[in-house]
Amino acid sequence: MLERLRAVLPHSLMLLVAIGLYLAAMRIDTAGAAAGGRIGPDFWPKVVIVFMALLCLYEIVKRLLLHSSFTARGLTEGLTHNPAEGDAAAEESPPGREYPHLLWAGTALIVGYVVVVPWLGFFLTTTLFLAAFTWLGGFRRPLIAAAVSAIGAFALVVIFMRVAYISLPLGAGPFHDLSTALLALIGVR
Amino acid sequence: MDVLSQLLGGLASIFTPINMLVMVIGLVLGMLVAVLPGLTLVMGVVLALPFTYKMGVAPALILLTAMYVSGTYAGAITAILFRIPGEPMDVPLLWDGYAMTRRGEAAKALGWSLAAALIGGLASAVVMVMLAKPVALAALQFSSPEFFAIVFFGLVSVVALSGGSVVNALISLCLGLLLATVGVDSIYGAERFAFGLPFLLDGIEFLLVMVGAYGIGEVLTRLYSGFQSEAAADAGDGSRFKTALPRLSEIVRLKWTLLRGTLTGIIVGIVPGAGATVSAFVAYGLESQCGKNGKMLGKGAPEGIVAAKSAATASVGGALVPLLAMGIPGSGATAIILAAFLLHGIQPGPQVFVSSPALVYTVFASVFVGVVGMCILGYFAIKPLCKVLDAPEAIVSAFVVLFCFVGAFAARNNLSDLYVIAAFGVIGFLFERFKFPIAPLVLGTILGPLAESNFMTAMVSFDNDWTVFFTRPISGSILGVALLGLAYPVLRAALRRLRAPSQPPRPAHS
Repeated sequence: MLERLRAVLPHSLMLLVAIGLYLAAMRIDTAGAAAGGRIGPDFWPKVVIVFMALLCLYEIVKRLLLHSSFTARGLTEGLTHNPAEGDAAAEESPPGREYPHLLWAGTALIVGYVVVVPWLGFFLTTTLFLAAFTWLGGFRRPLIAAAVSAIGAFALVVIFMRVAYISLPLGAGPFHDLSTALLALIGVR
Repeated sequence: MDVLSQLLGGLASIFTPINMLVMVIGLVLGMLVAVLPGLTLVMGVVLALPFTYKMGVAPALILLTAMYVSGTYAGAITAILFRIPGEPMDVPLLWDGYAMTRRGEAAKALGWSLAAALIGGLASAVVMVMLAKPVALAALQFSSPEFFAIVFFGLVSVVALSGGSVVNALISLCLGLLLATVGVDSIYGAERFAFGLPFLLDGIEFLLVMVGAYGIGEVLTRLYSGFQSEAAADAGDGSRFKTALPRLSEIVRLKWTLLRGTLTGIIVGIVPGAGATVSAFVAYGLESQCGKNGKMLGKGAPEGIVAAKSAATASVGGALVPLLAMGIPGSGATAIILAAFLLHGIQPGPQVFVSSPALVYTVFASVFVGVVGMCILGYFAIKPLCKVLDAPEAIVSAFVVLFCFVGAFAARNNLSDLYVIAAFGVIGFLFERFKFPIAPLVLGTILGPLAESNFMTAMVSFDNDWTVFFTRPISGSILGVALLGLAYPVLRAALRRLRAPSQPPRPAHS
């Protein structure tokens, strides 16, 4: 039972999203369209939401109540295995290793970058991010990692701010001063 | 004659120093992203997009097109030599290409791959030039019901051509269509799904969905399964590998394989959402069924290499036809080329052949030059391309994330967009994990506004009569084909179930 509940978890979440979006769609202002007797701006999203909810319901009922494994697959099904190895080869895929702690840490680093970059500025945040992500990814040569991070961040500043003229966050307070000094060094005013 | 002179004009524009430099850079970058561990062709083209913001529109399109063309080739080298497919489209090359390498015929396998890419690429470029303008002229006659039908066909085809669950693909598509409705509605000016957040009033750019789901999502997926901490293969110095081009008589012997592969690539490429990977697998499957040497495929037959490689490269020309003639991208990479057009204020579609013909023919010319340049680079650059495999995946992935952030930020200079792509990165990972395909989500976000506006316009023009989509001959026919394409996988699965001997129920997998 627990296995089946886990199997319907993604579709249940999608169904909840659909219900939430339908409730939000009911609050869309349709006064302009109603006056002219036309379908309003809520029509299209509502059609899509209802269709999505029905699909989710179908999967939930199929897996949870009917215990069915019936799945219609796209036309390219079965083309992705070597015909010389037969159908059995297509069914067998060796279980891969999984590193959930790496995933959590990687996600935290990515979100952390987004949160911190307005304060520390692009150069400093990028240097720290490169060093941390490289270490997290299993690269264990500290000197090379530090050099790659510092030179890489500097190169990105030059490429994006000096060559491509893209305005990137400079940071706040002393970090802003550091970024400005760096930009002056590469000739960006 | 008119087409030829315009194509010559396009070629002349390519051979200016700046554009030629951009072309070479694009070809080299395309080859690198196709080989670098942790990078895919679509991700690579996405990452190059921010560099095009300040470029002129022609160099921007030349750069991305060159990357697209050469990105379909380089992965073949590592697939054949080291059994490492640079791209999913190169998987069929493992079966026959690597088998030839183990027999000591690596040079021959590389030669076949190069010849197939050259012939398939050039043939599809010719078809693209001949087909795009008539399609655009025909599309000029279309009204909103026909345009809606075409967009609907594009949306459905990406679902029907997926390899996984059709239901999951449809759910992914619905989510994409809903993302496209966020913000202020273009017809009535009504606010939809903004939830009081000012940055959502401007809508969610499809670029953010693409960059997040394809770029950051892929990095998270790879991180979850562990990066390669060592070099992916013992590439050595790569100098022992040479390319031995096939003789003309050998090419003539495989002419039907080449023809089947190229035609499959062009046709599948034209179908929106299909792209090079589907083309390569379909062509390989077709060759194993219809080819004279079909039974030998998978055991080191050159036909396997030729079918897959000619189709993958031919899909480039095919995919550019719906993009340029109707504004509908035929693949992930052409969706980014569409973004480059839009960022420069140009909407691809029938009108672009009237308003900016020189630009269209520059894109056409860049495919011709790109295919030839790709083959020249592919012939001489085996050694450096093999060395690229030594790049640690952790470092490459860290830079991928940064390029994603810069690409997203630079489009609108809005820090909120960074949160949006980080969120879509996580969504991309969850989709991959729970076997929801990402392509329908992205295509839904891109084509959603086009589908809705044409649907609404048709409903307003025809007094809310929805039967108009089925009673007009062209839109009715296209919708019929689309619905058949969607129904076929379901009917096929139902028939299989009926024919299969009864078996005890097993746990459901999507």
